[in-house]
Amino acid sequence: MYLFDMKNGKKKLVYGQSPEDALEILSYRLPPEEMEQIIKDKYIKIHQRQLQEHVHLLG
Amino acid sequence: MFNLFRPKKSGDGPRRLWLDLGDLGDLVNPAGPHEQWQDHGLGLLRTLLHQNGLTTDLASTRACKSWDEVRKVVSGYDMLIMNVRSYTFPVAYRSAKIFKEVNPKGLVLTGGMHATVAIDEMMAIPEFDKICQGPGEEVIVDLVRDPDSFPRMILGRGSKSMADWPMIDRTLWPKPASRQLARKFKWPLEPECGWGPGPVVTLLTSRVCPWQCVFCNENSYIPNMGRRPVEMVIDELNYLDRKYGVGSLVIHDSMFFQNPTWLQEWLEKYPRQANKVWPYWAAARADTVRQWPELFEALVKETRWDTVSIGFESGSDRVLKILNKECTEEDNYFTIDLMTRIGDEMEREGRKPPVFWSNIMLGIPGETRDDAFKTMRMVKYTKRIMPSIAFYAPYPGSALGHQLIAEGRSLMSKENYHRYPDDEKVKGIDYKFYRELLAGKFDAEVSKGLAQVRQERQNYMGALTKA
Ligand code: SF4
Repeated sequence: MYLFDMKNGKKKLVYGQSPEDALEILSYRLPPEEMEQIIKDKYIKIHQRQLQEHVHLLG
Repeated sequence: MFNLFRPKKSGDGPRRLWLDLGDLGDLVNPAGPHEQWQDHGLGLLRTLLHQNGLTTDLASTRACKSWDEVRKVVSGYDMLIMNVRSYTFPVAYRSAKIFKEVNPKGLVLTGGMHATVAIDEMMAIPEFDKICQGPGEEVIVDLVRDPDSFPRMILGRGSKSMADWPMIDRTLWPKPASRQLARKFKWPLEPECGWGPGPVVTLLTSRVCPWQCVFCNENSYIPNMGRRPVEMVIDELNYLDRKYGVGSLVIHDSMFFQNPTWLQEWLEKYPRQANKVWPYWAAARADTVRQWPELFEALVKETRWDTVSIGFESGSDRVLKILNKECTEEDNYFTIDLMTRIGDEMEREGRKPPVFWSNIMLGIPGETRDDAFKTMRMVKYTKRIMPSIAFYAPYPGSALGHQLIAEGRSLMSKENYHRYPDDEKVKGIDYKFYRELLAGKFDAEVSKGLAQVRQERQNYMGALTKA
């Protein structure tokens, strides 16, 4: 799982084999304007067990 | 009135009530069989308490027909204990409010899966005095004995292995609350639900599923624990059979078809050591079936795994990726084809063929109409299927649920966690289309590709060798 920074200061949780794959999967459900909000080269990789620590940052 | 839940005094110490949760009336005049199923968390934890001399009385919201009745059954207690799941959270919340109104000095102890996945929502309820997050079996006795020595939020501790769990005392479960239901229920075993003959034993052999589907993801919250040894499972079944007479089993594990070593032992011992080879319901994944097809086939044929529950979820690779299911369309079709062949062979031998209890999800954010047609096509293609179709729900605790809630797309609220398959749960989903799809309005589109799928999948032995 990856946490991408967004231009509005929040984070987007995405998942996939690689950051690129994860963003492609996210694009299946988000319209281009919302995808635009994501800073594509600013992300951290997290383990699913750490998810709860980041929930309050999501947006 | 036939009310088995009139509270009794629990001795000289504090009066403790364990409140079983569910929709009002589910143990009086239930809408369906699954509403009557018993809570294994309650069963295990009450067994531990009672074995340690901490008796609790029992009431159930499912045995009450009105909130006034709940008010009566909770009154006069010093302590209320509840195991809260996401779909019972609204009932727990309301029950706690009522409890505090009638017992202002009473203490409310909560725990359970909702405390584990949505602690913030639990903490926001002032009536919940103590909230245990995570597995509770290693802390429940101390907590109930001396709640004041614990902070408001308690980190639970689980056993290392299910081998350490005592056998649940099923007589600590609530009874059916009407004469009519009592006739069919066979308490303390459970009623028939259409998957196998009654009385039914529901049981757990494993606790955590290691996969990471983003609508579920239980592995994020519960540490892995050892599976219950095969012999212990069989011994318990034989004991229940001697005592009550078992008709069939529902193995409630999130994922039964994992850990081939355990499954191999089950394959060898269950048909030989159980009093009878009872048919059972249990879950698998399409990718694990494709990984171990011979083991799967042997289990179906030799252990009477008559109802195979598979969370196919979708017939579209795009949607399976959105769900992080880690299964593909090909895995799903492989599994369907294998079950069809096994079923046909068993039928030719005069045996009852196995069926799929198949979880299907629609209305997933990002799903197109074509994806939904592919899913319905897969359902139509499957020869022996009991489909369980639900609209996707963004439960907190799941990865996708958290993300959609943060995006403001969830229509679920703490007053009303939807648990019905046709409720609207996510903003922006065209539920009208899905209702029409389910009503058959798009059958032509669904059937259009079906002949081609059948044609392509005729050479299915090829798929078997590829796996
Ligand atoms: S949906 Fe099934 S396979 Fe996926 S994580 Fe949950 S229990 Fe495991």
